[in-house]
Amino acid sequence: MTARRAVAALAAILTALLLQATLVAPLTLPVPVSLPAVLVAVVALAAGPGTAIPFGFVTGLVADLGSEHPAGALALCWLVLGVCCGLLADLVLAGRRAALVAGIGAAVSSAAAAVLLGILGASGDGTVAIVRDAVPAAVGDVVLALLVTPVVRGMLGSNSLRRPTDRHPAGRVPRSRPRVQAGPHG
Amino acid sequence: MRGLNHRQRAAAIVLAAVAFVFITLDVAGTGLSGAHSGARGLLGSLYRGTDAVVGPVRRFVAAVPDVGSDRSRIAALAAQNAHLRQQLAAGSADAATLGRLNRLQLAADATGRRIMPARVIAYGPGEGFDWTATIDAGSSDGVVAGQTVTDGDGLVGRILHADADTSVVLLAADPGSGVGVRDGRNGQLGVATGAGSAGFSLSPLDPRADLKVGDELQSGPAGQSTYVAGLPVGTITSVHVSADGTTVATVKPATSPTAIDVVGVILAAGVTGAPNTAISPEAAPR
Repeated sequence: MTARRAVAALAAILTALLLQATLVAPLTLPVPVSLPAVLVAVVALAAGPGTAIPFGFVTGLVADLGSEHPAGALALCWLVLGVCCGLLADLVLAGRRAALVAGIGAAVSSAAAAVLLGILGASGDGTVAIVRDAVPAAVGDVVLALLVTPVVRGMLGSNSLRRPTDRHPAGRVPRSRPRVQAGPHG
Repeated sequence: MRGLNHRQRAAAIVLAAVAFVFITLDVAGTGLSGAHSGARGLLGSLYRGTDAVVGPVRRFVAAVPDVGSDRSRIAALAAQNAHLRQQLAAGSADAATLGRLNRLQLAADATGRRIMPARVIAYGPGEGFDWTATIDAGSSDGVVAGQTVTDGDGLVGRILHADADTSVVLLAADPGSGVGVRDGRNGQLGVATGAGSAGFSLSPLDPRADLKVGDELQSGPAGQSTYVAGLPVGTITSVHVSADGTTVATVKPATSPTAIDVVGVILAAGVTGAPNTAISPEAAPR
């Protein structure tokens, strides 16, 4: 990972967390719509698991430390989200399909986080609330993913943030860009 | 679909193990309180700056669902919008809420307490199910953990942590928290347990207490509760009597936990604030 990609990743994480706390959460409570989770899923689908694993973990850890629940819970959930969506990166072709997968993945991740925090005794949200909020959360996450996907793909496809080498087995670049679709080896 | 390569698999396993270690340490209550405090302080400062930019957008969007309900409401909202824009330009707080806080201040003066006005600038940064909110008043304003927070209409919650410039409020609606309450009609005592957006679930200390729909609950009793006594908590909306005669009631909160904006922290007597000056009856609008 280049220094530019690391700085861009940190900036994206902080931006997502700040917008989540000051804009998304106040407008969507009590439905657990999560911009950071959507960002992790979108990055995973665009860049593959190699980028998504550390990205999901760090995003979750920063969110954990800034919250009241035990640190590590969201880090674990968003790490798994990054792995799962990263593995699906090869299958997702169109932008809307990517947004749909990212939104549903983020909603499933939120439900898993709620269950994990319930087990840890850090959240009083019961099973009924988790099930009741699942569909609205998925809808909200898909809407966010539709907004975030073009931004993330545009950033990852820019010359300054593109992966320095493309020999990585799971290395991925935006499929929507014709020059990338041709492939460096093609 | 390709699987993870060796390096990715190793990284995922190591980071998952690290996450489990963090969870274990934090649940055990050792070692991570400093990291939590540092992250909260950093994010709290960033919230203040971010809220200055996105706060007006949030308040505008939050008002959108009410538009179109009826003409008078639209007119009222339009007037309120213009008023809010004017206030935002001046960087001042909501005058109506200040008026409520002022009334509460006048009442609080009788008990020798003061109120520090503050604005909600953020909720939890992760998923939003922490039932906490961050306000822009901190220990430098005289805020300390345990103080009661109100919005002028009723009980909002209590201060969980106070950093230098921001504080985290545990909302009374948090499903893990309980509020000692008194029924205003018959003086019965009980515990109102938070039920998230649904409000509260009331369990009277006397299982056969005479509870009725419409009864108003206040925090209390004085000196026996974590919260300042006498603040409106909510109104009973239904009463259920189980087969063994135990009574449980559902309570509609006096203030919506997800729609708070300007709040007041009830300070202990004699605490002076530095950057934000606590409301005094002379300075506040009548």
